[in-house]
Amino acid sequence: MNIHRINTSLAMILRMLIRRKIVLILILLIPTVFLSIVEFTSAERVIHFQLASVGDQVFIDMPEKSISFIFFSVASAGFLVSFLALNLIQKNHNANKRLVLCGYHPLELLTSILLVLLLTILFISVYIGLLTIAFTPVDHPVSFTLSLALIGFVYGSYGLAVGSLVKGELEAILLIVLLVNIDVGWLQNPIFYAAAQNQILIEFLPAYFPSQASIVKAFTNYSAVSASLYALLYGMIFLIISMLIFFYKMRTK
Amino acid sequence: MILKLENIYKSYSKKPVLKEVSLQLEAGTLTGIVGENGSGKSTLMRIIAGDISANRGKVHKNGKTGYCPQEAILFPEITVQEHFRYFSAAYNIEAEVLNVRVEELLDHFNYRKYYNTRVNNLSGGTRQKLNLSIALLHEPELLILDEPYNGFDWDTYLKFWDYTKDLKEKGCSILVVSHLINEKKKFDRIYKLENGTLK
Repeated sequence: MNIHRINTSLAMILRMLIRRKIVLILILLIPTVFLSIVEFTSAERVIHFQLASVGDQVFIDMPEKSISFIFFSVASAGFLVSFLALNLIQKNHNANKRLVLCGYHPLELLTSILLVLLLTILFISVYIGLLTIAFTPVDHPVSFTLSLALIGFVYGSYGLAVGSLVKGELEAILLIVLLVNIDVGWLQNPIFYAAAQNQILIEFLPAYFPSQASIVKAFTNYSAVSASLYALLYGMIFLIISMLIFFYKMRTK
Repeated sequence: MILKLENIYKSYSKKPVLKEVSLQLEAGTLTGIVGENGSGKSTLMRIIAGDISANRGKVHKNGKTGYCPQEAILFPEITVQEHFRYFSAAYNIEAEVLNVRVEELLDHFNYRKYYNTRVNNLSGGTRQKLNLSIALLHEPELLILDEPYNGFDWDTYLKFWDYTKDLKEKGCSILVVSHLINEKKKFDRIYKLENGTLK
């Protein structure tokens, strides 16, 4: 591991990411549009929502609008980080391979990519956290922001895994949009989840623990440690899969 | 011996592309490989460069290798200068040496004015100059060039041959692959890749 190489690669990957117009447009638009839609369309009726990660009999009663703000901030953080992670690992695959042929170790490149992903997760979670707080009051802003970082980590790792596995850009984007829509956008939606059959199935999806952690920290004083640990575990599984595929594809022959 | 290939065999979906290809290159030589489109030239180059592996056979290399792929494999969002910096880190080139090398390559291939231009704003010919310069940056002992003068204008084409002549005199072994080789006199040896074998 050569620190100079990692620093150089980190600087270059960050530059490339920032110079892609679509990245800045999506970061600016997605959370703003999602939260504005909630502001203009959600009702004030109270929803009886089960915090299954805390306990079987733990319910909270919150207005649909407040809970939707949290839910949509989680969805936008998950989608954004997943898309950016995909971009990081897939966009310059051949040029990265050339760097490896010229002397870079795949681990040095991967370390730089993961550091950029970490910075991206931190930036997006703080940005969406602040934006959400501007729309609705949150009980524990710092912990809530950390829960957004958790969904970023889980879905960022998923984006890396998809980007490592799938060669085509469109196919990879479809896989991300599909899971984000079904998982974060639909099944974890409190309005659906509150009355869903087979909730056990929903609990096995990647966004379950980060969603639970974000609702817990936004509106209650319950601990979200257990949900956060499970979320980290989920993210680590995706991360390990993506690292193994990346190494396999990047190794020199 | 700079490069030795022993009985290289490669197939795609059970269809053989290279059959028992053997080749040896010595220092200070210029060797050409010609062949029709789809004859397996680029596959052979990628095997030598270490990009893909052969199903059977051995590749022995001595010394630093420079590889210029057929397509310009670059990062669209960063500049020419940033490419030199990025690839110099890969090659472990010291800053002072890098500056000298970059100056020399920019002047020789005449694209200094694009030094701070991002690759996605460069013409195909200038991208190819950068593609080639990256392969030359660390003064390799073995240079593998896959259709290296694609997109070059006449002046750059001539400069390319001047550069290879200098490299050869310094002891570099150069392997050029092309579907068409006009400058036959410049080569020490030219092979034809046909039906998966070198002739």
